[in-house]
Amino acid sequence: MFATAWFHFSLPDFEYAFLSILLEGMPFLLGGAILSGLLEEFLPQSLMTRLLPKNPRMALLASGLLGLIIPVCDCGIVPVVRRLMSKGLPVSCGITYMLSAPIMNPLVLLSTLAAFRGQGAIEMMFLRGGLGFTVAVLIGWAVSFVAPSSILRRELLATSSGEHDHSHSDSSASLVDRLQNAAGVATRDFLDVAVFFVIGACAASFFNTAIKQEMLLPLAASPVLSIASLMALASVLSVCSTTDAFIAATFTAFPMAAKLAFLVFGPMMDFKLIFLYSAAFSKRFIIVLAIGLFVIIGLLCWRLSALNLGL
Amino acid sequence: MSSSLRPIRDLLILVLWGSAVLWLSWSGQLTNYINPSLKPYSAVSGVLLLILALFALRALLGKKSPTECCHDHHHEQEDHCDHSHSHEEEHEASSHHLCEHDHQHGNSPGFLTLGFKTLLLLLPLGIILFGNANHYTLSTIQNRGVVQDVTKLPGVRESKLPTPSPAITQPVQSVQAASNVSTTTTPTTTPDSSAMPIQVIDLLYAVQMPSYREEFEGKQVEMIGQFVPLTTGNPKGDRFQAIRLFITCCAADAKPVGVTVQYDKPLKVGEMSWVKITGTATFPLEGGKRTAILVASKVEDCPAPEEPFVQ
Repeated sequence: MFATAWFHFSLPDFEYAFLSILLEGMPFLLGGAILSGLLEEFLPQSLMTRLLPKNPRMALLASGLLGLIIPVCDCGIVPVVRRLMSKGLPVSCGITYMLSAPIMNPLVLLSTLAAFRGQGAIEMMFLRGGLGFTVAVLIGWAVSFVAPSSILRRELLATSSGEHDHSHSDSSASLVDRLQNAAGVATRDFLDVAVFFVIGACAASFFNTAIKQEMLLPLAASPVLSIASLMALASVLSVCSTTDAFIAATFTAFPMAAKLAFLVFGPMMDFKLIFLYSAAFSKRFIIVLAIGLFVIIGLLCWRLSALNLGL
Repeated sequence: MSSSLRPIRDLLILVLWGSAVLWLSWSGQLTNYINPSLKPYSAVSGVLLLILALFALRALLGKKSPTECCHDHHHEQEDHCDHSHSHEEEHEASSHHLCEHDHQHGNSPGFLTLGFKTLLLLLPLGIILFGNANHYTLSTIQNRGVVQDVTKLPGVRESKLPTPSPAITQPVQSVQAASNVSTTTTPTTTPDSSAMPIQVIDLLYAVQMPSYREEFEGKQVEMIGQFVPLTTGNPKGDRFQAIRLFITCCAADAKPVGVTVQYDKPLKVGEMSWVKITGTATFPLEGGKRTAILVASKVEDCPAPEEPFVQ
């Protein structure tokens, strides 16, 4: 045990909180991974682009809602978007889908509902979905004015003519083989994301048990500082959107607007995603996107808290 | 660790995690960590992990791992692709080759090697096996502060306190039903015939609701809680707190709720030990505020309840 005036670390307490977060969030993480595997194997990808409206604005709105039908968590979204854009999906729609899907995922919304039970769960679920959708569409709309060459990586631009559109799924294979493929994708997704979940749970448990909460209260009492600090924390923790609500719900000293900012900013731009976005987008675009998301989400959450909607 | 070992690593992790979750669920230890209503999800996730492990084993035995890209299907631009690489290598190398495969897995940043990731995934299992993580120590309880005002708990607001029922024959059950806040623990020992078995939180509700207070005031009651020494506001040294953890989802969001107990006999009880207290419920005004004080006639050690939380 190590202690100072503001810090009191107890290993058993850290372990206890760590296991609690992990055991609670893991079923949701696994559910997301299995769904991802099934979609990967059984959903024809061309269907998505065929179903998008021809009107660019309507297509943006539809892309923002696509996560409800094709739910992918933040860890799995980048490869999907890369594939869709290489098959001709407009970049603005791809980015809208990429930003909104980790929040508009039904599993994410349901896990938010479960995590905030007793803390305005229904309001938080709708606010998270609504704000995530709004921010994603706004960013997508802004991106529609920018040339793809300044957004996408050169390699992705080179393949956007659609040579590499093969899918791993093979509809002629037996059902057991296809299930096995889906299970393989699910396993891979689950274990890849579980690594970051373990790291996030460690950080959250440390924050949760070692720091004396009185020290954070001044930060939590300021609407602006509390929102900014929880957005920064969301980046540091890099927790999957299917489970981050369980962690946010534990920050009981912070106002709901700050928790909302945590839940919207985290799935769109955390440290883990910075690496993942680099697989599809230019560094400059990622930096601009990070700053833009921080400012827009911060301002909207601050405005929502000022409206006194129970936040 | 070579990426060629990943299928074996995945299989082992799935088996270990699935077995650990099922063991915690079967042995009842899961209730030390999460809200009992979430237990079924955990149990199902344990089963699903083992099913994924079976698929992983089938893939391993069949020498056709779905997590490794064989790519023996038709390909239009094979001259641009080296299909012998694994997904792990491919993503780590994606910044410098032209192959834009849209794999939805293995997108971890390069600094997390497979060996390090494996260690992280084994960390929870190590804590389950070798840790001492099934309750908080006093330091975390003091970091969080003991709540004595029930309206400060998640989901309980002063304006939303339940309307008392006019006819109360069994106060504990009536309070729980009316407030829609359930306490999940029943005393593990047979109560004295004259003492009414109650929960810590019942007395806190009674502080806020005069009609319920009348049902408890001056009555012999019996409750169990964890012993927390009272270091302030205890000039005679005859008081301590009996606490329970109020949870929303899991132990990480737990808030200690406590009632002050007055006991003028010598007491040798360890910090955070479970005690059964028999005494008279009183609700005096102290410092201008109504508070609950249990004037104890008997305090004795008791075993921890099967479900330690109140919700």
